[in-house]
Amino acid sequence: MIDLHEILTFNSSPFMYLVLALMAVPLFSFFTTGLFGKKAPLWASFLLLLNTGLAVYLLLTNIHAELQNFRGQWFQLGNISITLNIMVDELMLIMSVIVNFISLLVHVFSMEYMKHDKRLSLYYRYLGLFTFSMMGIVLFYDLLLMFVFWELVGLSSFLLIGFWFEKKSASLAANKAFIMNRIGDAGFITGLMILFTQFQSFDLEAIKTLMLLSEIEDGNWIVHFMNNGEQVFNSIDGRWLSAAGIALFCGAVGKSAQFPLQIWLPDAMEGPTPVSALIHAATMVAAGVFMLARIFVILDAQALEVVAIVGAVTAFMAAIAALSQFDIKKVLAYSTISQLGYMVLAMGIGAYSAGLFHLITHAFFKAGLFLSAGIIIHQLHALEDKDVSFDPQDMRVMGGLRKHMPKTFFAFLFCALALAGLPGFSGFLSKDAILLNLSAWTDHKGGGFYIPEVLAFATVIFTAFYTFRMIFLVFFGEFRLPSLIQDAKLKALPKDGNAKLMVPALLLGALSLSLWFGFTLEAEGSWLYHLIETPVFLVPVSYAATSLIDIPERYFEALHTIIPAVSIGFAFIGFVLAYLAYKPGAKLEKAFVNRREPVGPLGQISFYHWYQDSLYTKIILPFILLLSRCLAWFDAQIIDRFLDGLAKLAVVLGHVTKWFDKYFVDGLVNLTATTSGKVGQLTRSIQSGKVQTFVVMSFVFLLLILLLLMF
Amino acid sequence: MPLNFVLFLGALLFCAGLYTVITKKNTIMVLVGVELMLNAANVNLVAFSRFDAVGIQGQVFALFVITVAAAEAAIGLALVVKVYQHFQTANIDEINELKG
Repeated sequence: MIDLHEILTFNSSPFMYLVLALMAVPLFSFFTTGLFGKKAPLWASFLLLLNTGLAVYLLLTNIHAELQNFRGQWFQLGNISITLNIMVDELMLIMSVIVNFISLLVHVFSMEYMKHDKRLSLYYRYLGLFTFSMMGIVLFYDLLLMFVFWELVGLSSFLLIGFWFEKKSASLAANKAFIMNRIGDAGFITGLMILFTQFQSFDLEAIKTLMLLSEIEDGNWIVHFMNNGEQVFNSIDGRWLSAAGIALFCGAVGKSAQFPLQIWLPDAMEGPTPVSALIHAATMVAAGVFMLARIFVILDAQALEVVAIVGAVTAFMAAIAALSQFDIKKVLAYSTISQLGYMVLAMGIGAYSAGLFHLITHAFFKAGLFLSAGIIIHQLHALEDKDVSFDPQDMRVMGGLRKHMPKTFFAFLFCALALAGLPGFSGFLSKDAILLNLSAWTDHKGGGFYIPEVLAFATVIFTAFYTFRMIFLVFFGEFRLPSLIQDAKLKALPKDGNAKLMVPALLLGALSLSLWFGFTLEAEGSWLYHLIETPVFLVPVSYAATSLIDIPERYFEALHTIIPAVSIGFAFIGFVLAYLAYKPGAKLEKAFVNRREPVGPLGQISFYHWYQDSLYTKIILPFILLLSRCLAWFDAQIIDRFLDGLAKLAVVLGHVTKWFDKYFVDGLVNLTATTSGKVGQLTRSIQSGKVQTFVVMSFVFLLLILLLLMF
Repeated sequence: MPLNFVLFLGALLFCAGLYTVITKKNTIMVLVGVELMLNAANVNLVAFSRFDAVGIQGQVFALFVITVAAAEAAIGLALVVKVYQHFQTANIDEINELKG
């Protein structure tokens, strides 16, 4: 029988401090950036540059090294020791490079973008806090600590969405994001509790080892181990195993914006655009997928099915919603949700490598899209003055920007092509891998499991459609702003930004090419894909899902040629449709400019994102409000009454004691005082100071004594 | 002469002295009263000396009393002078610093 303490051995080495520095440097940036005033952006960017360098160094030196982990004790509660565990594996090394690299680009980009903001140094401190918390999630191989940093990430996201809190909509969006995340986190905590009850540890290594040893007997989930010399025998209903997986997944649903909690992400676009690029496209929303990857091996078949279906539904819904938006950031937000849906779907079908590969490629091209959109917004915003006022995020005022902002166009185009999944770009490789595995999974499972596949493939068409729609509307045709503002005259035409804006966007555009990931048209030819190997499920056999590794090779053989062909074909269909509908001078393109909102029920459903917001405000919100009113009534009528009664009783009791105090205790004291006063007065009066009186008195008393002696 | 007469005389003198001590305002008069009372005691000493079988102890003792009285008077008067210098009065009613 295994002892928990044999798994939780403490070890450390000087190398650990280098790994911890990955967290410490952004934290240091958070604490010190405020001191630098106007120089804050430079200082914060310098620190981030150091950290990125460190992350790259660690990646290069350790990528093929053995797994290392460092563990120490945090605190001890009776027999239960809560440990700190840092795991240095491929996933952690790659994620730390991505987080730091994109954070660095955003730091640089923000130098220009946020130049005129009055709380510039605060902005950079928040970025530091975010990077620190994100590194915490990436580094710690321990569910409890992961949860702690998970919440810190939520906090920094809240602070950055609501950074321009003077705007009512921004502060509301920040609240919405926070509350939606809290709902997911409630699930996360539930999952933690189930696992802790069963395994008495939060350490992922312990959980995984014990999960492997646990068994299903008569529908009960049994685990048997030693803890500190005591035998532990835990047996609970087997369904808790699925419940734990689904509950942990709820956390990912909140953080990674999956159905039904995804509605916070479009609103989160109220934050500054570089923040959207960093947090709400590339890194934080990917934390949910990262967490799924960490707990991947302890998810059972049922939980994985839930994950897959939620992912597919999210991908499809968000892709539909992206079709008809006017706001360029909204399109990108919905597209992010849709792509996150793909990643979660990949996790659900067991395509671990494909999902994480998509996470990495998506981080680059989506951050690039947001930064390019940020340049457009920034440059258009510069044109606004007291005569000319418009919404610089609205695609209706753009058009024809290709001629004015050629560099931005290329950065945007490259990233967009990766998003649409065209061959030669990174998105193609990763999306293709997901679709391939999905098809094999569907063929193997059969039954109703073709639905995720249908949704995922439909999403390919929609993705290409909204991507090219966006490109046509923003970069082709004529610049629409001058005709929209009529009388007023623009002071200049928009142009490319300066180096601080352009370099990060172009860099990310270049990274959207697939050649960095290998000269190949298939994910399997990519070095990165092979770096992240799909692990083996550790849950008891009867509950485990069929791993993709176990699916016979023949399922894949036919798919290897057909899937890339189908996905390219679908993307092309999307492109053609977008071209027909939104090419310069097309009917829809002309109507689009003058429309307030899309016509027809389908357009409306798309524009209002399946009316999910209204559904929540009309049905769930009244229910919650009713519930809270009931609770408020209970609070006011029952609990407050009871407390009021107690208070009144206390007052009455107080009066009684006061009376007793006043008349009995005080009376006694006063009596003593008065008596001694009176006695004093009496004896004092004898001391008249007249010598003759004393003489008389002595004489009288002498006589009295004599009389006493005589008789 | 019977002893009673002499004792009556002593008592009379003592009462007169006491009266003087109690009632007189002037400090010097009070001292005079004290002298009277001492002499009342002397009269008694001398009177009882007749019944002394051995010698004249009572008379000798009276002489001692006279001597001590003289010393007492000297010290008393000196005190009175000092008191007068200090309080600027010899009225015994006004010297009441000991009043409680």
